[in-house]
Amino acid sequence: MSYCVNCGVELEASLRECPLCHTPVINLKEMGKEVPPSPYPENRGQVEEVKRKDLGILLSVVLTATGGTCLLLNLLVFNRSLWSLLVIGICICLFVFTFPLVYYRKMPPSLSLLADGAAVAVYLYMIAYLTPSTTWFWRLGLPIVAIFFLCVEIFVFLLRKIPLSMLSGALCLFVEIPLFCASLELLIRHMLARTLRLSWSAVVLTVCVIIDMALVTILVKKRLRNEVRRRLHF
Amino acid sequence: MKAKPSNRQINPPAGRNKKDIWYKLDLSATVYPTLQRRDFSSVYRLSVTLKEEIDPSLLQQALDRTLPRFPTYKVAIRKGLFWRYLEPNNRPGPFVQGDIKNPCMPMRFKANNRYLIRIYYYGRRISLEAHHCLGDGTGGMCLLQTLTAVYLGLRGHEITPSGFVVKLDETPDPEELEDAYMRYATAKVKPPRPAEKTYRIRGTKEPFYTLNIVDGVLSVKEVMAVAKRYGATITEYLNAVLLYALLQKQKAEFHLKYKPVRIAMPVNLRRFFPSKTLRNFITMVYPSIDPRLGDYSFEEIVTEVHNYMRYYINVKFLCGDITTNAATKHNFLIRIVPLFLKDLVVRTFYTRVQDKNSSAGLTNMGALQVPQDMKPFIDRFDIYMGQPFSSRTNCAIISFEDILTINFASSIVEADVERYFFRKLVQDGIHVKIESNREGSLP
Repeated sequence: MSYCVNCGVELEASLRECPLCHTPVINLKEMGKEVPPSPYPENRGQVEEVKRKDLGILLSVVLTATGGTCLLLNLLVFNRSLWSLLVIGICICLFVFTFPLVYYRKMPPSLSLLADGAAVAVYLYMIAYLTPSTTWFWRLGLPIVAIFFLCVEIFVFLLRKIPLSMLSGALCLFVEIPLFCASLELLIRHMLARTLRLSWSAVVLTVCVIIDMALVTILVKKRLRNEVRRRLHF
Repeated sequence: MKAKPSNRQINPPAGRNKKDIWYKLDLSATVYPTLQRRDFSSVYRLSVTLKEEIDPSLLQQALDRTLPRFPTYKVAIRKGLFWRYLEPNNRPGPFVQGDIKNPCMPMRFKANNRYLIRIYYYGRRISLEAHHCLGDGTGGMCLLQTLTAVYLGLRGHEITPSGFVVKLDETPDPEELEDAYMRYATAKVKPPRPAEKTYRIRGTKEPFYTLNIVDGVLSVKEVMAVAKRYGATITEYLNAVLLYALLQKQKAEFHLKYKPVRIAMPVNLRRFFPSKTLRNFITMVYPSIDPRLGDYSFEEIVTEVHNYMRYYINVKFLCGDITTNAATKHNFLIRIVPLFLKDLVVRTFYTRVQDKNSSAGLTNMGALQVPQDMKPFIDRFDIYMGQPFSSRTNCAIISFEDILTINFASSIVEADVERYFFRKLVQDGIHVKIESNREGSLP
């Protein structure tokens, strides 16, 4: 039997070093003796993955069939306008939204959100294609989608990368909401060729600034922070 | 303590279609499935080491005979609109399999033919892994010991059922299947739970699929003698050693300010509230030391733990604790909230409050009793609390005859807590033999 010279514990015969302090086992008396097998097996187990293939197949078939049949119906029967684009666009959006849940669960959330944004933008373009002018898409639709998904990306990034408390999370949210509202109003005014100034979004901005200041005070003052945590803990 | 009679029908009346049988999750069990992640499941492991090599085919036969006697273990978990529930699982399996180096792997609910238990064999050892939503260590031990007794029976050694070994031919007692929490949640007040951030072990997270194990094998007599020297029981003494190890670890790291060191320790409520239930019936107590109050000597830590245990582990306090926990299930407004919202809230609460409430986990199953005629065939028992929810160390203790095993399971690279812990035992004059699955051991 061997002992660890550092820890003073007896080491099980198959151990080559002390698992507590990594001191190698050098026991001249034990050299040449047959080493007994470890009490732990060598092979590692793998978690049996649940097959989502069936759900994936079902979803793909349903979406493709819906899109395909609507397209045929549109081309062969009700062919006054390309209305099937609306259905096909919805099918594409649903496929993109469910992709990380059903088909590829290891997809990074930022990438999946980017794809979601792109899908929504494509769908809006399909709608714009069916309308007489696509100006609203380029000047309003696309920028709104871009700003919205940028805000969501930033929020998700902060949630994942920086361990935010509930209060800090709320602070981020109440910073992003007025920024989004202000951008929205400016875009609408730009689209309507009006003076670029804030009106209703200024109200949202004011309310959110008040909330932000309250949250910052709570976050800075430890006593207040603990009080809020105590009162709101569930 | 006089308990209210249970008014819930647990077993279906005679003649009722077996397909109609289902079980509500018990109070503790409602939490565990919520915490399920890709890399985490609340799975614990119990092992028994026999004196002869295991025959896998006989073990499979024994399992096939044993499992139907434990209806709440032969189940699959399902989602309802408001709560999850267990339903009998008649799919093939579970099948015994060769043991693995990384026990307590995550358990997908829809994998393994939806069974929530795994049986492993390796050399002379039989291991049972069960999801905590089925039951606690006592329930699992009942299944493992009965399985072992049936296995030994197939090998020609007749074992008389008693204690943890149950008769296979009798119908399960309704009390075995009950949610005993609801029967004993009778206190008039709901004492608040401690909610203070405690010291978190710093360490390098191991990659997924790694569970580091360090087992210490000790003599019960030696540990008892040392514990007596400090005027404590074995549990109190080992709790104090773990607190001491955590304090040493915190001291060795750089901290602008220290945080309290607290251990989450499950208490088997069957000791205080009579119940034969094989499902969860435990509650947590949190012995702690606050280093901000000053430096504690080891003797002072033992005294603190000793007094804490005497003060908190009694029928009245435990009843209050059960009532606090049960209040959530009694509340009508909570009950009507859809399951996905409950999951969201429970997961957030657990991650942000409950998990930060303790620095490590420690459980002591105590001295195990087995039927007299089974004793000659058994070498020792082991218990593992399983993968910790966050990066930390869990410690589980069990003893059989004169062998006391202390099993550490952690998902961090460093073994500092284990080192401080076992070195303290050696300093106190206890002989410790170490086994481990960490790298450095020969295949």
